[in-house]
Amino acid sequence: MIARDRQAADTRLARLFVAPVVLVVGATAIVPIASTVWAALHQRDLRLPWLGQPFVGFANFIEAAGDRRFLEAVLHTATFAAITVPIELGLGLAVALVMHRVRRGRAIVRAAALLPWAIPTVVAALVWRLVFDNTTAMFGFDWFSSSRAAWVPIAAADVWKTTPFVAVLLLAGLQTIEPEIYESARLDGASALRQLFTITVPLLAPAIVVAAAFRTLDALRLFDLPYVMTGGGPGTATEPLSLYAFVALMERLRFGYGSALSIAVFALTFVVALAFVRGLGRASHIEAL
Amino acid sequence: MRWQFALAGLMCTVLAACGGSTRGRHLSFSGSALGEEGSLVRAQLARFAAQHPDVDVSLRITPDAANQRHQLYVQWLNAHVPEPDVLQLDIVWTAEFAAAGWIRPFPDTALDTTDFFPAAIEADRWRGVLYAVPWFVDAGLLYWRTDLFDNAPSSIDALRDDAVRARRERGLASGLVWSGARYEGLVTVFMEYLTAYGGRVIDDHGAIVVDAPEAVRALTFMRDSLGEQGFVPVSALSWQEEQVRFAFQNGQSAFMRNWPYAWGPLQDQRRSRVANRIRVAPMPPAPGGRPSAALGGAQLAINRYTREGDLAASLVEFLTAPAQMLERARVASQLPARRSLYDSPDLARALPMPIADIRRALDATVARPVTPVYSEMSEILQVHLHRALTSQEEPSTALHDAAQEIRVLLDRSGLRGAAS
Amino acid sequence: MSRTLAAILIALLLGPIAWMLAASVLPENQIFSGAPVQGLLHASFEHYRALFDERGFLLPIRNSLIVAGLTTIIALPCATLCAYALARLPMRGKGVFLALLLAVSMFPQISVVAPLFLVLRATGLIDTYPGLVLPYVTFTMPLAVWLLTGFFRQLPRDLEDAAMVDGASRLRVIRDVVLPVAAPGLASTAILMFLYCWNEFLFALSFTFGPEHQTVPVAIALFRGRYQIAWGEVLAGAAVATLPVVIVVLAFQRRIVAGLTSGAMKG
Repeated sequence: MIARDRQAADTRLARLFVAPVVLVVGATAIVPIASTVWAALHQRDLRLPWLGQPFVGFANFIEAAGDRRFLEAVLHTATFAAITVPIELGLGLAVALVMHRVRRGRAIVRAAALLPWAIPTVVAALVWRLVFDNTTAMFGFDWFSSSRAAWVPIAAADVWKTTPFVAVLLLAGLQTIEPEIYESARLDGASALRQLFTITVPLLAPAIVVAAAFRTLDALRLFDLPYVMTGGGPGTATEPLSLYAFVALMERLRFGYGSALSIAVFALTFVVALAFVRGLGRASHIEAL
Repeated sequence: MRWQFALAGLMCTVLAACGGSTRGRHLSFSGSALGEEGSLVRAQLARFAAQHPDVDVSLRITPDAANQRHQLYVQWLNAHVPEPDVLQLDIVWTAEFAAAGWIRPFPDTALDTTDFFPAAIEADRWRGVLYAVPWFVDAGLLYWRTDLFDNAPSSIDALRDDAVRARRERGLASGLVWSGARYEGLVTVFMEYLTAYGGRVIDDHGAIVVDAPEAVRALTFMRDSLGEQGFVPVSALSWQEEQVRFAFQNGQSAFMRNWPYAWGPLQDQRRSRVANRIRVAPMPPAPGGRPSAALGGAQLAINRYTREGDLAASLVEFLTAPAQMLERARVASQLPARRSLYDSPDLARALPMPIADIRRALDATVARPVTPVYSEMSEILQVHLHRALTSQEEPSTALHDAAQEIRVLLDRSGLRGAAS
Repeated sequence: MSRTLAAILIALLLGPIAWMLAASVLPENQIFSGAPVQGLLHASFEHYRALFDERGFLLPIRNSLIVAGLTTIIALPCATLCAYALARLPMRGKGVFLALLLAVSMFPQISVVAPLFLVLRATGLIDTYPGLVLPYVTFTMPLAVWLLTGFFRQLPRDLEDAAMVDGASRLRVIRDVVLPVAAPGLASTAILMFLYCWNEFLFALSFTFGPEHQTVPVAIALFRGRYQIAWGEVLAGAAVATLPVVIVVLAFQRRIVAGLTSGAMKG
C-alpha cells in the first residue's frame, strides 16, 4: 500500500520536475522549428517576391539531393566528424586523467586545461589562422590554398578548443570511480596501462558515450571555425553543411531552400544521435528506460 | 573632443532605447561607427538634430564585416522592423533590397542626382527607380612604389615586366599582391583584369558574356601570374585585404592592389616600410581594354517600414551634402561620391593622396552587375575563379561553367535580361 | 600516467594561448611578420589600453557575465530536477522525451535565428537580458539533462534508499543526500553551460542592438572594420575575456573538492 502511494507520489513528482524543462524548451523552440519546417516546404526567395511563396512539397529536398555542392558538404561534414571525434575523445581522456591525478597546483592546472574552451570560437579561429599563417611564413607550405590541407588548421582549432569539453565530461565520471578498485588492481600487479583499459575505460563508458555523442553532433553542425578561418574555401573545399545552409539563407535569401538544408543537417544529426542511443545502448544509461 | 561626441551618441542611444516615451520625433541611423569614423558620424548626426529641434537621432552600430551586417539587415527587414530608419548599404546590396521591397524609392524630383558619379547612381537604381544615394565611394587601386619605379605601368604587360624585374633585381618576395581568397574581394580584382582586357560580365543586351575570349584571356593572365614563375605569391589565394596590405607595408612587394583605406596605414612612418614612397593608379589596360578600378562604396537608403519617411529623406540629403562629404574626406579619408568636389582645392587639401591620381582612378571605375541576385552570382564566380586560379580547372572551363550557372540562375529568378 | 605526458598535454593546450598573449603585446604589423620573437623587443600594452579607453571593453564583459550567470542559475536547477526524475522516478516515455530534447538542440542555429528573432520581437525581448537568457537556457538544457541523467543513474541507489527507509521524503533525500554527492556532476554541468553562453555568437549578435547588452564575442566581432581587423585589440580582448572565466572555474574547482570531502562518498 505504502509502496503504491509512494509510486503515485513519485510519478507526480516526476511530472513536476520535468515540467519546467518542457515549458521553457517547448515554448521557445516550437515556433522556430515549426517555421523552419513550413519554410522548407515552400518556395520562398526574399530577393524575388514576384515569385510568391507557393507550396512546393518536397521540391527543395529533391533539389538538395541533386545539388553537388550539398553532397560535397555532407561528405566534408561526415569526414570531419569521423576524424576529429576520436582524437578529441582520446586527448580528452588524457587531459581528464591529468586533471584528476595532479596533486600540486591542481586548481590551476584544471583552470589552465579549460582555457582553450573559454576563448570565444571566433577568436580561436583567428588565433589558429595566425599560427598557421606564420608556419607558412616560416616553412613555405601554404595550408589555406590547398583544398585538402586547409582542413588541418580547422581540425586543429576544433580539437584544441573542444578537448577541454570532453575532459570536463569525463572528469566528473572519473571522480565517481572509487580509488579502492585501482588499489586492488595495483596490488594484483596490473600495470597502469592495463588499469586504464580494464578499469577506467569500462567504468567511464557512459560518460565516454555521452561525450562522443555530443561531440559528434557538434562536429556535424560545424560552422564558426570554417566561417572565420577559410570562408569555406579554397573553392568550396572546406564548406560544411551548416555553412552552406547559412549561405543559402542569409546571403542568397532563399529561405525555402536554406530551411530544407537546415532540416537536412538536423536529420543527419538526429539519425546519428539515434544510432548512438540504440546501437551503443550497452554502455548507454538509457538501457533501463 | 571625441568622448563628448561619444557621450552625445550614447545619450541618444540610451534615449532611443527608452523608446515609446518620445517627446519629439525620433530617427535611427545604422552604419559604420568605428574609431574616427564613429566620432564623425555622431557629430554629423548631432548637427542634424540641432537643425531639427524636435527630432533626436540615434546611432545603431552594426558590424562592419559585410556578411554580418547583411545578415542583421536581412533579419530586421524580414521582420518589418521600423528602425533603423536610415541604413548604410554596400553598393551591391541596393538592387537586392529594392527588389525585396525593403527600401523606399527616392523620387527623382527630390534629389539632384547629376552631381554624383554616374556608375554609383546606376548601381543604386532598380528598374529605373533610384533607391539609395551614394555616400562615399571606394575604388580598387594599384599601389606602386616610387622608389622602384618612375611611373605607374601603362599596360598590363608593362605591369608584369615591372613586377618581375623588381622582384628579381631587388630580391623582393613578390612583384604584385592582391586579395585572392574565395570571397567578394576576388571578384573585384577579377573585374579589373576583365575590364583591362575589354571583357564584361553582362553586355548591353543583358546576355552573360563572362565566358567570352577576352575574359578567358584575363583569367589566364591572372592564373599565370601566380607562383614561382610568376610574380604573385600563391598564398595570395587565401588573403584578404589586410594580409595584402601587410605584405606591401612590410616592403615585401613591388605593387599592391587594394582599396584607398590602405593609404593611411601605409604612410604611417612608425609602422610602414614604404611610407612616403607610394602612389596610386588605376589598373592599366591590355590591348583592347581600358584602365579600370573596381567600384565600391557605401550608399544610404531608407527603411521601407520607417515611420519617419520624410525626416529620413532629409537625413540622407544632409549626410550626402557636399559639406558633410568634405568633412568625411578630411576626418576619415573617405572619397566623396560627388564629382564636383574633386574640382575643389578643399578636397585636394583634405585627402591624403594626390588628387590627380584619385581622379584618374575614379574616371576608370567599373561597376559589378546590378541585380538582386548579385551575391549568388558573385558566389558562382568566386567558386569558379578560385578553382581556375588554384589550377583545379582550366580558365575557359571555369568561366564557361560559371556563365552557364549564372544563366540558369537568372532564368530561375525571372530576371533574364533585367540585369545591367 | 607519467609527468612528461601531462606536461606535453598542458603545453599543447596552452601553447596557442601563450602565443596569443605574446602577440597581444606586439605592435600590429609584427603579428603577421612570422618573427614574433624580434617583435617582443617592442612589446607594449597599447592594445590593452585601447581596449578599455577606446572600446569600453568592460561593458561586454559585464554583459557576458550577467547573461552566462543568469542562464546557469536558471537552467541548472531545472535540468537537475528533470534529470533526477528521468534517472530515479517512474515516468512513461522517457526515451522519447530525451530524444525530443536532443532533437531541439540539434537544430542548426542559423535556421532558428530568423524565426526566433520574430518571436522575441513580438514579446518585446529584443535587446534585453531575458532575450538572450531564454534562448540560451533552451539550448543548453538538453546537454545538461543528458549529462545529469547519466550522472544520477551512475550513483549508487543505496544512499537514497537507506534515507527513504528512514522515512525521509523524496525531496529531503534529494537535498540532503543526492545533491552533495552529485556535486562534481553539477559543477561540471554548470561550467559547460557557462562556457556555452560565454562563447555563443550568433544569437548574441542577432538579438542585441547596442553596447548595453552586447556580449564579448559580439564586441570582439565589432573590432573589425570594413577591411581592417584590429588584431592587437582582438587578441588583447580575448586575453582579457578569459580572465573572468578562469576566476569562475577556479571558484567551481573548490566546490568539486568540497563535494568530495563532505563525507557523503564514504559509504
